[in-house]
Amino acid sequence: MEAGSAFQRYLDSALESFGIEADETERAVMAGVWSIWEPGMNLLRDSDLDGVEHELKADLSSPPAG
Amino acid sequence: MTALDLPLREQAAGIASGEIDAGELLDACLARFEERNPELNAIVATFPDQSREMLEAAPDGPLRGVPVVIKDEWPLPWRAETVGAAAVPGVTTQPGESGPYRALRDAGAVIAGIANMHELGSGSTGNTSVYGAAHNPWDLDRCPGGSSSGPAASVAGGLVSGAIGADGLGSIRYPAAYCGLTGLKPTFGRSAMEGHHIRNTETIVSGPLCRDAADCRLLASAMFGEELGAEERSGLRIGVIRDPFWSDSAPGVREACESALESLRSEVGGDLFEVELPDQDLILPAAVLVAQSEEAAHLTPLNLNALPEELSVLNRGVLKLRGLIPGSLTARGFLARAQARRNLAQLFERIDLLAWPTVPAVAPPLTDPTIELPSGVTSADAGNARQGVIANLTGVPGVNVPVGLDAGLPVGLQLLGAWGQDALLLDAAEALERATDRQFVELRPAAIA
Repeated sequence: MEAGSAFQRYLDSALESFGIEADETERAVMAGVWSIWEPGMNLLRDSDLDGVEHELKADLSSPPAG
Repeated sequence: MTALDLPLREQAAGIASGEIDAGELLDACLARFEERNPELNAIVATFPDQSREMLEAAPDGPLRGVPVVIKDEWPLPWRAETVGAAAVPGVTTQPGESGPYRALRDAGAVIAGIANMHELGSGSTGNTSVYGAAHNPWDLDRCPGGSSSGPAASVAGGLVSGAIGADGLGSIRYPAAYCGLTGLKPTFGRSAMEGHHIRNTETIVSGPLCRDAADCRLLASAMFGEELGAEERSGLRIGVIRDPFWSDSAPGVREACESALESLRSEVGGDLFEVELPDQDLILPAAVLVAQSEEAAHLTPLNLNALPEELSVLNRGVLKLRGLIPGSLTARGFLARAQARRNLAQLFERIDLLAWPTVPAVAPPLTDPTIELPSGVTSADAGNARQGVIANLTGVPGVNVPVGLDAGLPVGLQLLGAWGQDALLLDAAEALERATDRQFVELRPAAIA
């Protein structure tokens, strides 16, 4: 998802495609929250995680196996 | 001072020795609710008949006869949880014997009331709830913290000496910091959780909020179903990640935490190490994505279109936004989690504790939950989450320790330990209390002092 008008276009089309109803206030909230989340989400999207091994059957009560 | 104002452990000892009448203590607790809750809005439901039945049936456990409150996040046999909301998307909550209820009952505790919480557990301030906001006893116009707003306001307001909260993305530690309490986020999976409406959670845990570490140890032991022993620690290796956790905290918060950290280091004869955690900038987005994925199965168009008007517009918007997040981002969030857990495990081979301010600024006003940091003005949620979510993303335990006041409002230092090191965190918290002559855990809001 991209900032500003690109986000608005995504929002409008995605809400319509998925059949999710949202009034103007809710859309404004969505845009405002996304503006806070966006830098981190873009960082995550663009980070090089290719070499990272999945943690299979992760047990969050313990350190990762191996 | 009445028996109700004593620490949890002294109430329990007094009841066990016969010096305190548990029935009178419960009556005093319910009367205190009547007296103070109209201002605090910390308690959203009471049930004196069931509380008295719990007392009559209380086994001879470590908390026999001691009144506590529990966050509105688990069912009781006589009440379904409401999660501070008019509706929980896709979930119909039911009364039942939740794990925290059983743990408290089996320890002999008496549940005296249900504590308020931030709507759906989705905020760090506690300023939004279907019951209205809970208020911070230190300043009734300020946020008590969230999402365990009611548990924190209850203990800080002197309604009870112990409360059970839940911590999904920092929700015990933030209100503990805002209200000047000790609050433990246990290692994932260690404390009773059965019956929570998010049954597949890998981020949320139950845990205690009390005035000091010894009371937290007692209540945590009940929630763990095993005694957490105390030990005098020495030679602790304390890791400090300066940027952004320290450098982007408000000056008054940073100074109080720096002073406390030096006191702790001196008390335990420890060492401070400046350390780094690779890719730490990925931790916050990864935590948000992993946590939101746990409820995502319910975020169908059918459920999202049925959200009631009584749910805050903020949550209606956020829930609908969550329903649109691409799966690729969430998958990358889980990869980042794997990486963060490995990096943190490597770090904890070299250190015993990590330390930084629990929240980067003191409690903001209920009507304007923003904070001013060196980097600029931001929402309290954004600033708080940056400091706290690593424990939920990776599963490690964390504790907030009260370490002073800034502009008359509590400041908290967060200590994080390796998986299973919950007792170590409480030992360190007690060492810090000793080092500071318990002055910060003995502070009380002026309104109840």
